[in-house]
Amino acid sequence: MSTGSLIARYGFFRARVFSTSTVIAFLCLAGALGATTSLAQQHVTKRYPARKNVRVELKNISGTITVESWARDEIKLSATLESPTANFTPRQSGDGLVVDVMGDNRGRGDVGDVNFKLQVPPDSSVDVETRRGDINISNLRGGLVRAHVSSEGDITLAGITASQVIAQNTIGDIFFDGEFSRGGTYQFQSGQGNITIRIPADSGFRLVAAVPTKKFALGQFWNNGFKTLGDGRKYMGDVGDGRSSVTVTNFRGSITFLRR
Amino acid sequence: MNCEKCQELLSDLLDGSLSRKDELNLNLHLEDCLDCVEVRTDLKAIVEFCREHRGEYEAPPNAQALWFRIRNLIEAEVSPARIRPDLTTREKGGWSGWLGRSWELSLPQLASLVAAIVVVVSLTTIVGVRRWESEGVNGSSPISDPVTALSAARSNITQRLLQQRQTIDYWNQRVELNKARWSPQMRETFDRNMRVIDQAVADSLNGLNQNPHDEVSEEMLNAAMNEKLSLLKEFADL
Repeated sequence: MSTGSLIARYGFFRARVFSTSTVIAFLCLAGALGATTSLAQQHVTKRYPARKNVRVELKNISGTITVESWARDEIKLSATLESPTANFTPRQSGDGLVVDVMGDNRGRGDVGDVNFKLQVPPDSSVDVETRRGDINISNLRGGLVRAHVSSEGDITLAGITASQVIAQNTIGDIFFDGEFSRGGTYQFQSGQGNITIRIPADSGFRLVAAVPTKKFALGQFWNNGFKTLGDGRKYMGDVGDGRSSVTVTNFRGSITFLRR
Repeated sequence: MNCEKCQELLSDLLDGSLSRKDELNLNLHLEDCLDCVEVRTDLKAIVEFCREHRGEYEAPPNAQALWFRIRNLIEAEVSPARIRPDLTTREKGGWSGWLGRSWELSLPQLASLVAAIVVVVSLTTIVGVRRWESEGVNGSSPISDPVTALSAARSNITQRLLQQRQTIDYWNQRVELNKARWSPQMRETFDRNMRVIDQAVADSLNGLNQNPHDEVSEEMLNAAMNEKLSLLKEFADL
């Protein structure tokens, strides 16, 4: 074996040792970080007996809220606390469940994200709000669905047939996929985001829509009875028998109606 | 919510200036209370009537002088009415006495009385409608030419904005006090959202500067200001 080939083999060996130790160090670091994260996170799961048309109220500070229906007469609350400093004590009253993270941490500033998942009976009324974070609510047919994001976060309401729906955020999209029930009231408001409403073709409602950007698309729900005000910034009119009331306001985004 | 509170808030509801929470509570109460629904219907009818007939009435040249004249007329009518019951109870008693007394008026007297009543009712209605329209601004000068009307509308908006800004300043101070406790992410979120709302306010004000009677811009301004107030209140709690 020549001196040159010996030097080359030594160099190759040294390079392999260096890369192997780098990978091991990286894996150790990643493992340590993962362990720290999982130690900092806290998971809470609780179940509460409930009647079919229970009312659930949740006031969060920051984090995602997901509400789903399930075929049980009970409420299951799952929460992931990103910081162990956050406190909350769910309170069960005669007509429902109240979770007030805001009230339970008042004056403590930002206590980190708390991500909630709630499983409730299909006829439940749900009133959820957060200062920041997305809200997803699906498959509910109770009296009220209210989703309020004070600042930014998308709101997705899917499979909703509640008689009163309120969805409001400042920055973020709002998507409603459901039905307007007779005599129901529906309010959607966004500061900057796209509001999309997907409803059956035979829906009947009275619409008042204000959209200063003039990005308004009513699609096949448009008819000649609609009044256009303020040079295309506001629309008023009836679709079908106008049996429910729909108010949509978007300061800097678009409003779109889609046929299901 | 009780009926008293509900009826206090009905006017704000019709103006669209209620917070979402109050509106929700109010609507819940209205679902159950027929009396309050009736009050809302009446109030709505009055407001709509006034809106529909906006600008149809001429303001009296001097509102204060008019009020004095009306008051004098009312006092002139009230004074005999105060004396009359004593006389009638002494002489004939009750309604029969009053009816008997009314037959003693001559035709010119009756005509004058009817004319006076018509004048008082008309003037009261005109002044009432004007006062309703101007939202309680006392002693306002007559709005006869478009330039004056334009400046009056602008000053109305400015005045309302000033009042709202005082409330906003109060909540802004509270937010600033608490901001130090927030995470940088939360601060950025708040500032970013506030910029969006401020932009919406600016857009609406721009629209109103171009046309002070633009109802859509006015509505959007109200909604944006309410949104701003709501955001400040909610973050002031943190």
